[in-house]
Amino acid sequence: MRNFLLPVAAGLLMAAPAAAETTTRDLEVIGRALGFVENQSGSERVLAIIHDAASAGEAEALLASLGGGLRAGRVTLTGRLVNSADLSGLDGAHAAVLLGSVAGNASVAQTVNSAGILSVSSDMGCVEVQGCVMGVQSAPSVRIVVNRANAGAASVSFAAAFAMMIEEI
Amino acid sequence: MKTRFLLMSATAVSAAAVLSLPAIGQSLDYNAMSGLFGEAVTAGATGAPQRSSDVPATMIIITRDDIDRSPEFDIPGLLRHYAGVGHNRFSFGDSQVAIRGEASGYMPRLLVLVNGREVYLDSYGYTAWSTLPVQMEEIQQIEVVKGPQSALYGFNAVSGVVNIITRNPDFENWVTARANIGNGGYDDVAFTAGRSFGDRASVRFSYGNAGAEEFEPLASNTFAVSLADGDYSRETASLEGRFQITDNVRLIAEATTSEVQLQELTSIYYTTRSLYELNSYKIDVEADTDYGFWTFSGYRNETEIAYDFGPSSNELTTFRAQNLFKVGTNDTIRLTAEYREGTTISFPDPGNGGFGYETTAFSAMWNHRFSSAVDLTLAGRFDSVDWSRDGDPNPALYIFTQDDYDVSFEEFSYNAALVWRPQSGGAVRFSASQGVQAPSMFDIGFTLFTTTTPIPLAITGNPNMETSIVRAYEIAYDRALSPTVDIRAAIFTQETSDVRGTFGAFPDILPPNAPLPVLLFNNRGDTQTTGAEISLMGDPEGGWHWGVNYTYQSVDDDLATFGLFTALDFESATPEHLVNAQIGWAGERFTADAFFNYVSATTSPFQPEFGTLTRFDLDAVIAASFRAGFTVNDHVNISLNAQNANFGSGEIANVNYQPASRTWLQLSTSF
Repeated sequence: MRNFLLPVAAGLLMAAPAAAETTTRDLEVIGRALGFVENQSGSERVLAIIHDAASAGEAEALLASLGGGLRAGRVTLTGRLVNSADLSGLDGAHAAVLLGSVAGNASVAQTVNSAGILSVSSDMGCVEVQGCVMGVQSAPSVRIVVNRANAGAASVSFAAAFAMMIEEI
Repeated sequence: MKTRFLLMSATAVSAAAVLSLPAIGQSLDYNAMSGLFGEAVTAGATGAPQRSSDVPATMIIITRDDIDRSPEFDIPGLLRHYAGVGHNRFSFGDSQVAIRGEASGYMPRLLVLVNGREVYLDSYGYTAWSTLPVQMEEIQQIEVVKGPQSALYGFNAVSGVVNIITRNPDFENWVTARANIGNGGYDDVAFTAGRSFGDRASVRFSYGNAGAEEFEPLASNTFAVSLADGDYSRETASLEGRFQITDNVRLIAEATTSEVQLQELTSIYYTTRSLYELNSYKIDVEADTDYGFWTFSGYRNETEIAYDFGPSSNELTTFRAQNLFKVGTNDTIRLTAEYREGTTISFPDPGNGGFGYETTAFSAMWNHRFSSAVDLTLAGRFDSVDWSRDGDPNPALYIFTQDDYDVSFEEFSYNAALVWRPQSGGAVRFSASQGVQAPSMFDIGFTLFTTTTPIPLAITGNPNMETSIVRAYEIAYDRALSPTVDIRAAIFTQETSDVRGTFGAFPDILPPNAPLPVLLFNNRGDTQTTGAEISLMGDPEGGWHWGVNYTYQSVDDDLATFGLFTALDFESATPEHLVNAQIGWAGERFTADAFFNYVSATTSPFQPEFGTLTRFDLDAVIAASFRAGFTVNDHVNISLNAQNANFGSGEIANVNYQPASRTWLQLSTSF
């Protein structure tokens, strides 16, 4: 079955339109999901917003949405802009949202994983091709997909109940 | 309205596992999860946490918001407003609930649990709802799973399951105090609290005390008239502690107590007054390991009941071990082993030897996700039951010896469901199930010698009684019609063979085959219910919400002759049409809600005096209930509630006590 589904999924991805921009609602879902990541204490979470030149405007808008801290379930989410050309700003981040073409950048994915940071994108193609750990869609209904292999590479694990309520690939 | 009528759908999660409650559901952060996914979450359909739109069963989830906005003072009252739910209030404190069928006295076919602990009284085989040690303010949500669920929950979950989940002090601190005072001598006070102590311990506590004057009895129910002075009283308390032993191991301990006195209608449509004294003790240990989510649980229910016809003293002890684990990303497996022991004193005739049973059960579940659009769940359970009796019933009165009670039976139950989410939207579910209803302890071992009838009789349980087998098939569909309107629909059929039923007015066995004429508990035939449900719910702008649902039920009985050999008549006693509607509005500080219920005409079995089994025609009933609430400040609320406001001093809605309009003022505080 897997051998059948993967080419189909890949075909769908190739035919899919360009990924929609990440929205404030997506950030809320990401923040709430971070509340179920294991081995993280406290309620403050720092989200690195990794962008390239083409997605700089989107990144600025997301940072503005986060303001001084976005309350999302168990956590308060604050943001930090990180240019994909210089990932040194990842230090201290709990998660990284990948914007635009960064979501398919293998080098960025490897760096984020190596830092033990949960990478997330609203582009579901990113999680399908192991470009990030988690794909998030907030509309029309919430959909969360986790790539197990990538989660393992990033040493990220989730609470059992959460893992049972999302899609894993 | 956050209530969601849930139809099975393709789970988006490969871990749509079946894990018999209790288990992970007790540690689920319902508020955080529902906030994340934008919909109610539940572990009640399969035991595994799932989004309400993904559950593999037709469900209702009643949330705290729904409870807060409802003009009802008990859980059966809340349930009656939903599709497929039958309800009868036989006295102020005796409500019975049925799923897709007749809500008869001492309704035996619905399994009820509180946090996974069975509160169904398997001695007689029913739920005395007033005895549940739960206050409305401590309920997180009420989950109703429709259809046979024996493969998940074991015996007696044949028409459905109601699982009541309390708030979890691990995730929130709260204190509530509430007082209701109303007409008919109704008063009801409750205190609940939950608090965590660091990251390692938390406590939940509740206490409630209520009383009311009884409704007026049906004038022609002469026995009820003779008991008419008996008022209702209820006192319950519950204490739970949660302890994080290690990062991955949690221990949950709970003790409860209830004392309730009330009038009731029994399974033979005969009135009784009962005093319940119930205690329970429960311990669960949960371990989230690399080898699955393990749960070890045990509980003990101690039950003392003084019926009009005799005292009953019973114990139920249950131990369960189970493991839920995933294989790859698309397959989930659950394995469970359970041991259960039920005992009772010789009842109601003392000296015939206590009796009881031991059950060993094994169950398994496999869920496979073929794709994000198609999902299959298969669950099966095997039960082996051994009965025994401590002594010989008096041979001068009864036909069975002690050895006759050494009986065993083995049964298999299953649930299967295929879910398809078409591209056009919504979800379609095809399901089949086989449930098992075991004879109750009284069905097997009851002994009573009576001289209240024209000739002396021996009423006796029957160790040769068979289990009832229930087979059900359903097709359901749910979808959003617009961003603010949802529709849920289902068609179903359910066949029950070897209906476990009580005796009629004519002896089943006569001398010389017995020392005395014998009224025998026995299987009484077959019955089939076919029907459909449809629900529409809307949450338009402006603080409004509305809902309307309709249920059609058609029953075809093939039972023993009514009156002579059974008191059962599902065909006449099940309302063919049920309609419920509600509309509500919430402003900044005010809320207003109206609820309407229609139940079509029925003909109920009726036993105004023991041995005079007949029928009574009941006209269709319309009930209107209202609630107006005002938020004084962040901590204080006041509301005026009118339940069945159009009933006046009594509406003939059943053959026992006539539900009257009850109005009460509620003052509540929360911190």
